[in-house]
Amino acid sequence: MAVRFVVAALVTVLFLFPIYWLAIISFKTPDEIFAYPPVWWPEQIQFANYAVLFKDGDAVTVWNSLVIASISTVFAMVIGTMCAYSIARFRTGGNLFSDWLLSNRMIPPIVIVFPVFLLFVELGLVDSFVGLILLYTAFNLPYVVWMMRGYIQDIPLELEESALVDGCTRWQVFVRVVWPMARGGLFATAVFTFVFAWNEFIFALVLTRSEVTTFPVQVTHYFGGQSNFWAKIAAMSVLGTVPIFIAVTLLQRFLVRGISLGAVKG
Amino acid sequence: MAQLSIQGLRKSYGRVEALKGIDLEVDAGEFCVFVGPSGCGKSTLLRSIAGLEEIDAGTIRIGDRVVNDLRPRDRNIAMVFQNYALYPFLTVFENIAFGLRARHRPDAEVRRKVHAAAELLGISDLLQRKPRQLSGGQRQRVAIGRAIVREADVFLFDEPLSNLDAQLRDGMRMEIKRLHQEIGKTMVYVTHDQIEAMTLADRIVLLNQGQIEQQGAPLDLFERPVSRFVAAFLGSPQMNFLPATVAGDAAGPAVRVEPGVVLPLAGARAPLPPAGTAVVLGIRPEHIGRAAGTPRPGQHPVDVAIDLVQPTGSRLYATFTLAGIPVTAELAAHDVQSPGERLTMWFDMTRAIVIEPESGRVIA
Amino acid sequence: MTDRGAMRGFSDGRRTGAAGARATPFVDRNFKYLMIFPAVAVILFIGLFPVIHTLMISVQNLTMLDEDTSFHGLVHYGRLLSDGRFWEAIGHTLIFVVVALPTELVLGLALAYLFLDRLPGKQVFVALLVLPVVVSPVIAGATWRLLFDQRYGPINQVIGWFAGEDVTILWTVDPAFVYPAILIAEIWQWTPFMFLLLLAALSNVDQSQLEAAEIDGASFWRTFFKVVLPAIWPVMAIAVLIRALDLFRLFDVVWALTRGGPGTLTETFSIYAYVQGFQQFETSYTAAMSLVVIILLAITVTLVLRRMEIDR
Repeated sequence: MAVRFVVAALVTVLFLFPIYWLAIISFKTPDEIFAYPPVWWPEQIQFANYAVLFKDGDAVTVWNSLVIASISTVFAMVIGTMCAYSIARFRTGGNLFSDWLLSNRMIPPIVIVFPVFLLFVELGLVDSFVGLILLYTAFNLPYVVWMMRGYIQDIPLELEESALVDGCTRWQVFVRVVWPMARGGLFATAVFTFVFAWNEFIFALVLTRSEVTTFPVQVTHYFGGQSNFWAKIAAMSVLGTVPIFIAVTLLQRFLVRGISLGAVKG
Repeated sequence: MAQLSIQGLRKSYGRVEALKGIDLEVDAGEFCVFVGPSGCGKSTLLRSIAGLEEIDAGTIRIGDRVVNDLRPRDRNIAMVFQNYALYPFLTVFENIAFGLRARHRPDAEVRRKVHAAAELLGISDLLQRKPRQLSGGQRQRVAIGRAIVREADVFLFDEPLSNLDAQLRDGMRMEIKRLHQEIGKTMVYVTHDQIEAMTLADRIVLLNQGQIEQQGAPLDLFERPVSRFVAAFLGSPQMNFLPATVAGDAAGPAVRVEPGVVLPLAGARAPLPPAGTAVVLGIRPEHIGRAAGTPRPGQHPVDVAIDLVQPTGSRLYATFTLAGIPVTAELAAHDVQSPGERLTMWFDMTRAIVIEPESGRVIA
Repeated sequence: MTDRGAMRGFSDGRRTGAAGARATPFVDRNFKYLMIFPAVAVILFIGLFPVIHTLMISVQNLTMLDEDTSFHGLVHYGRLLSDGRFWEAIGHTLIFVVVALPTELVLGLALAYLFLDRLPGKQVFVALLVLPVVVSPVIAGATWRLLFDQRYGPINQVIGWFAGEDVTILWTVDPAFVYPAILIAEIWQWTPFMFLLLLAALSNVDQSQLEAAEIDGASFWRTFFKVVLPAIWPVMAIAVLIRALDLFRLFDVVWALTRGGPGTLTETFSIYAYVQGFQQFETSYTAAMSLVVIILLAITVTLVLRRMEIDR
């Protein structure tokens, strides 16, 4: 066991090193960043790199991401769970419909983004919050439907039947019984939905210009031909990654089911 | 007037016919039990009454309303589910109040009714708990409480005791019977357990393969079964079924079960088919007893050798071979000492039935 | 319960006679359709409507300079067949799939075995190991770009320690190293994904079967192929499917590391489509390209789902 422990520890350190390196650069002074040989442990932690992001207003891209990811998550969860309930309990549309829904998830963004771009140009939705929110809602719907269908199927049907007999309409059953019963699944699915929207790059790259840049797009703006803004890349990346790490660590219990599209109940 | 009336009810799942034409009347205040083996359609029938299953044909009336196309919420019924169907995210109080809240009843009324129901069921001190903090029996009470606050026309129970262990089950059975006496509502109860059916029911409806095999008062079914199926389903240990042939006896109708053993039938009966016809003789274990003193009319002696003895404490089941099959008799605790004993049994031929082997119908 | 057999769900509420249908309000009667309506509307709006639009454009001739909306037939589809750069991009994409996927699978499986039995602090290790999975792929690419820097990155420095002299490998420029660089970043990010799923699958393997195999004296490999592999196969198939589809649309990491360069050496299909559509403004041509790939993928995905349906 001792050997296994050492190997396990080494492997973990190896996998975490890139994240460590990213974080440590964000705390370095320019001199330390561009020192040769590289500095593995800075003399002192300083936050100037973050302060610059806030001073220049670049940090607003994190806010943009937050707004877009949050609102689209709420939309996707509500209409996705409604759809999932219909499929789970009434088999609406049969296997064909649910397969079609899931297959939407598997289409590469790049082939969708071009038609969507043309559409958004006509509707004036390029570089707008509405456009990205709409797109991420649609993009996440298949996932929400698929996951929530699984969670809803785990709810004993008798709870809903009992509510029907006790005087609920179908909609009341959904709101008063299904929604609270699926709380855990709703919460876990919402977090993953949020993460997808938060991390998404291609749609944001194509459909934003200057008004609503999201943070992953902002990071790529710092790459220049010769002069890379290392400090900004690192600080902005950390700013956008820490919230996700916290959320996922809190949701460890739902992680396997979430990332395996529900294939592993974990 | 019938409280619940069903005519020509049919229901299929794809090609499988679950209910093949059910006609049934349940009177107001009656305790009606649907019983039968699993897959007989009893749950489907109950759920059709509740409106949880679509029906293909027929009419369901509750009171004077045809409810076929009413939603469950509009049928004014209450239902207790096998797994209790309590909402884990609500307290016991809110679970019981759920139906009233769904109908937006005033808070004072909700509180009064919930407390009254809790009082009746002895769960007043549990109202603030969550279902997971309750024992099986307590959950069962909450489920019943949720049904009775509704003051529904008809109460439906779907195997409510089958998740409880044996001891609790006996206690809850008694409580349900008492509850019925106290509130006097029409109740329809599904079970696969014949003891529950016999003890609870005013009327038993015995279902087999989507049809009503026989219905009536429990003792009616027990004493005058219309078919081998009914006779076998009710009673424990099961009725003995012996292959036999009709014997043309000058003294009256009789059957021969094996060479030299001819049993004359007693009691008023329909005429038997001609002599030599193969039939099945049915006789319950408790109607076979050890010979002692003078026989009552209709008791016929048969000499047997005991193969197997199963004492239960109060009674004793002795098994012997007759007509090539094992036959069980229910005797007094000390009637037989050990296997191998030879003794004379009295068969109470007034209680025996004759069955037509092909159709399984009781013919005499 | 058994009376209803396998039916778990509500019957559809539309079968009973017309007479009473009026008794049930519209919302309850059409409940199941009303519930899917918003989702279907959004997906059709974002999915189907643009695809039809694209179909129309693909038979016109829109470019940056030319707004020609007259019918041009299948000329863009024909051009696709003879476009070497397109097929090279597909080829590059397949290289990433074929190398990264098995590597991630084998490494993930090895890691899963490492963490399978009891280990102090196992939960903490697992929680830390999965972090790369949730990093935004473009951020992962950016991170590796910093790591791979020929002068200020730690990787060349570490290699230098072993080589005993300063090394200056141009990871994101040198044709010999761009593929390893992208693959390392990709494998770093997604091996934990495989690890996590396979760990869950391995933990669910019936312990008594393993013990029986051990008593029978089966070797590790024999046990693995005869007992473990069949048991974890369903999960492994899903994991491979998810990753294969992800790799096929590989964009972010490559974009951050090389932008498809040097030249077009690491250009994946997604990057090529992006370049054609948004840098060359070959509108009609990109539309045709998108449609062809949608159709190819739709067929593949349908076939795979069919297969999985049978396995279920």
